[in-house]
Amino acid sequence: MSIKDFNTKEEITWCPGCPNFGILQAVKNALSDLVKEKRIKAKDIAIASGIGCHAKIFDYLNVNGFYGLHGRVLPLCFGMKIANPELTVIGFGGDGDTYAEGVSHFIHNCRYNTDMTMLVHNNKAFALTTGQATPTSEKGFVGRSTPLGVKEKPLNPIALAIVNGATFVARGYALDINHLKGIIKEAIKHKGFSFIDILQPCLVFNNFSPYLKKHICRLRNHNVSDFKQAFSKSMEWDYSFEKKAKIPIGIFYKIKRPTFEDQWPQLKKPWYRVKRKINFKKTIKAFK
Amino acid sequence: MEKTILIGGRAGQGTAVTSHFIGKVFCALGYYVFNYRDYPSLIRGGHNFNVLRISDKPVYSHRDRYDIIMAFDQKTVNLHQKSLKKQGFILGGTDLKAKRLHSIAIETILKELKAPQIIENDILIGWFFKYFGVDKKFLLKEAGEVFKGKKIGLIKKAIQIGYDLSEKKERLKNRGKKKYFISGSQGIGVGALNSGIDIYIAYPMTPATPVLHFLAGKQLKDNILVLQLENEISVINSALGASFAGAKTMVGTSGGGFALMTEAMSLAGISELPLVVYLAQRTGPATGVPTYTAQSDLKFAVNAGHGEFPRIVVAPGDSQEAILRTQEAFYLSSKYRTLSIIISDKHGAESDYSFNELKASPLTNQKFILKNPPKNYKSYKITKNGVSPRALPGQGPVVRATSYEHNEYGNTIEDAKWTIKMNDKRFKKVRYLEKEISKLNPVSIYGKGKNLIIGWGSTKGAILDSLPELKDFRFLQVSYISPFPKKVIENEIKKSKRVILVENNATGLLGDIIAEQIGYIIKDKILKYDARPFIPDNIISKIKRKK
Repeated sequence: MSIKDFNTKEEITWCPGCPNFGILQAVKNALSDLVKEKRIKAKDIAIASGIGCHAKIFDYLNVNGFYGLHGRVLPLCFGMKIANPELTVIGFGGDGDTYAEGVSHFIHNCRYNTDMTMLVHNNKAFALTTGQATPTSEKGFVGRSTPLGVKEKPLNPIALAIVNGATFVARGYALDINHLKGIIKEAIKHKGFSFIDILQPCLVFNNFSPYLKKHICRLRNHNVSDFKQAFSKSMEWDYSFEKKAKIPIGIFYKIKRPTFEDQWPQLKKPWYRVKRKINFKKTIKAFK
Repeated sequence: MEKTILIGGRAGQGTAVTSHFIGKVFCALGYYVFNYRDYPSLIRGGHNFNVLRISDKPVYSHRDRYDIIMAFDQKTVNLHQKSLKKQGFILGGTDLKAKRLHSIAIETILKELKAPQIIENDILIGWFFKYFGVDKKFLLKEAGEVFKGKKIGLIKKAIQIGYDLSEKKERLKNRGKKKYFISGSQGIGVGALNSGIDIYIAYPMTPATPVLHFLAGKQLKDNILVLQLENEISVINSALGASFAGAKTMVGTSGGGFALMTEAMSLAGISELPLVVYLAQRTGPATGVPTYTAQSDLKFAVNAGHGEFPRIVVAPGDSQEAILRTQEAFYLSSKYRTLSIIISDKHGAESDYSFNELKASPLTNQKFILKNPPKNYKSYKITKNGVSPRALPGQGPVVRATSYEHNEYGNTIEDAKWTIKMNDKRFKKVRYLEKEISKLNPVSIYGKGKNLIIGWGSTKGAILDSLPELKDFRFLQVSYISPFPKKVIENEIKKSKRVILVENNATGLLGDIIAEQIGYIIKDKILKYDARPFIPDNIISKIKRKK
């Protein structure tokens, strides 16, 4: 399946030049590669999205999918996977979606370690609702709902994921498409809950791309299976725009742990292929 | 023969298990039994009680005058001895202070047996059944079937000791045909299994939890998946994800959890994915009286979720109906790609009912999924009856589900034309659903008479047991609330002299729905909102007084 086969005919309604185009391209490239490499089957790809600018990607990818509710991407992904373990499940969420409305699902899905991938388009703002603060907005962020500026420090999703048991944790940059494609591929190949926080500046409401240009760096000489190293790396940047900060991108953490579905003997094949023999008489015997 | 027995004690003393066992033995002897559970929201202490009503004729409700009180503590005596019948007696330990007490030196026996406190149940059970003249061997055999595990030897010994201390006062006949003894929750579970459920997901909440426990215990044998997730929002969204990917899925909760689920019910509405929601009502608002009963969420169930979309709301009236209605909920939900809500309550869910036979619905449990979906598959194809043939991700073609208004492929649209088209498509189903439920006894009529009692759900038991004492009354039980069986209800109302609404809530919610749907306002209402279920006397005395 070529990259083109993932296109749809829908008109793309992101703002011109939006870094979301970069994410879309990286995803298509990664999926196309993985299909060509026979790591996945196109017919088994199932995506889910939340609500916000990120979620428009649902209309632009010609794959199975469920365009869900704001904040509920991960339960949808989880549900698809437990109904059909053969699916390659990929969730798309925004930072408001995942770290505000849906943060409980984020924490618990790190624990569950279901074999699926979660990509968060993190622009540190609510964009589609015209520029309000999210949990990853920096202290002092001024939006229409916070004219006096945000008073709290941002949430650190990388640290949060590592601490809560995610088995693949990475950070990408929407405008570094090749690098992003690489980690998306690794994330999908990883058996377990894979999470990538993708920095995706919003050109209209929170354009921090000039800052990223100066401060972003690749993770190097880093042992991805070492929890302490991973955690310490995750704390190098606290999502504030500090002058001296370095923003590492790449894979922070990657370990093996039994997946959710591995631990349930019932989860061997898709439920729609399970043939049931229902025996009512046997079921009600216990009540006599 | 008819006896009403109250079994009371502190939480943790085993009153529920004892009551259930006694009920089961009577069922094995061919008697009809109804078992009511009353317990506050705590783990140890407080006051729990069960009321067993036993009869040689069918019984569907309990009463509040007792032939026997089995007391595990003084509080039970203090609270209930005023309700003891004239010929009645209290059974308990020698430490109790009570009139008409048959006492047993429980503590001494336990010491001799070196048995834990919980074994006191079995001593009392032994005594109780000897009193009724039930054969010892028969009793021990029943105990062996119900109580399994390490303690069975000790249990049997304690039953024998209690038995030998008692005297035969009555000679209970074995009435032949064994009865089934099953709670409403178990009925829901059996119905789900019989529908071919794949996945049940819930977050614990009284009184819906017994279904979670029942199915969780069945999951390996019946090859289903039963999960408890982080909250009700996750529960229902995961269930929709699972439904999208082809699993037959059900979730269960009570009012508070149902409230959290409502946004996703709206998602079920627009995404047109099959989903069955089990709502076991308890007394609200908010935390309310959490382990007690009410029928106060009917309009909530009918209206839950923003926006307009069709749905099924069905209200079983007992455990047998729970089996049938659960199967119907699954069938209609799968066939019409709609949300089905089964609405029950604490009283219906946690009471045990007895039956000669248990029936399953003859409806198919197929999933209505295309075997070979076409390449150019449209997830939301507009069809005559509004139901788009269903395909699943993984089958081949691209399959979509969405919370946005959409075109036939499931791609987002915002234009007026498609918004109307898709609304119309979804509502086309209603006419077909109405036809379908007209064949499923959407209402039931019991008894004969010019006057009419209207009720729904778990009040069925108390109303049925009231009928013999009411002159010229028949009972209309409404089982389908959505779509609402307007015509048949309107006809029944029209041909009645008096129409009385009986509901376990403060305002008469079914009455509101009847007013909205039919334009008839029922003024004569018997409403109970003390968090307790009706007993027949509540209905009989009110109807007689109202004359």
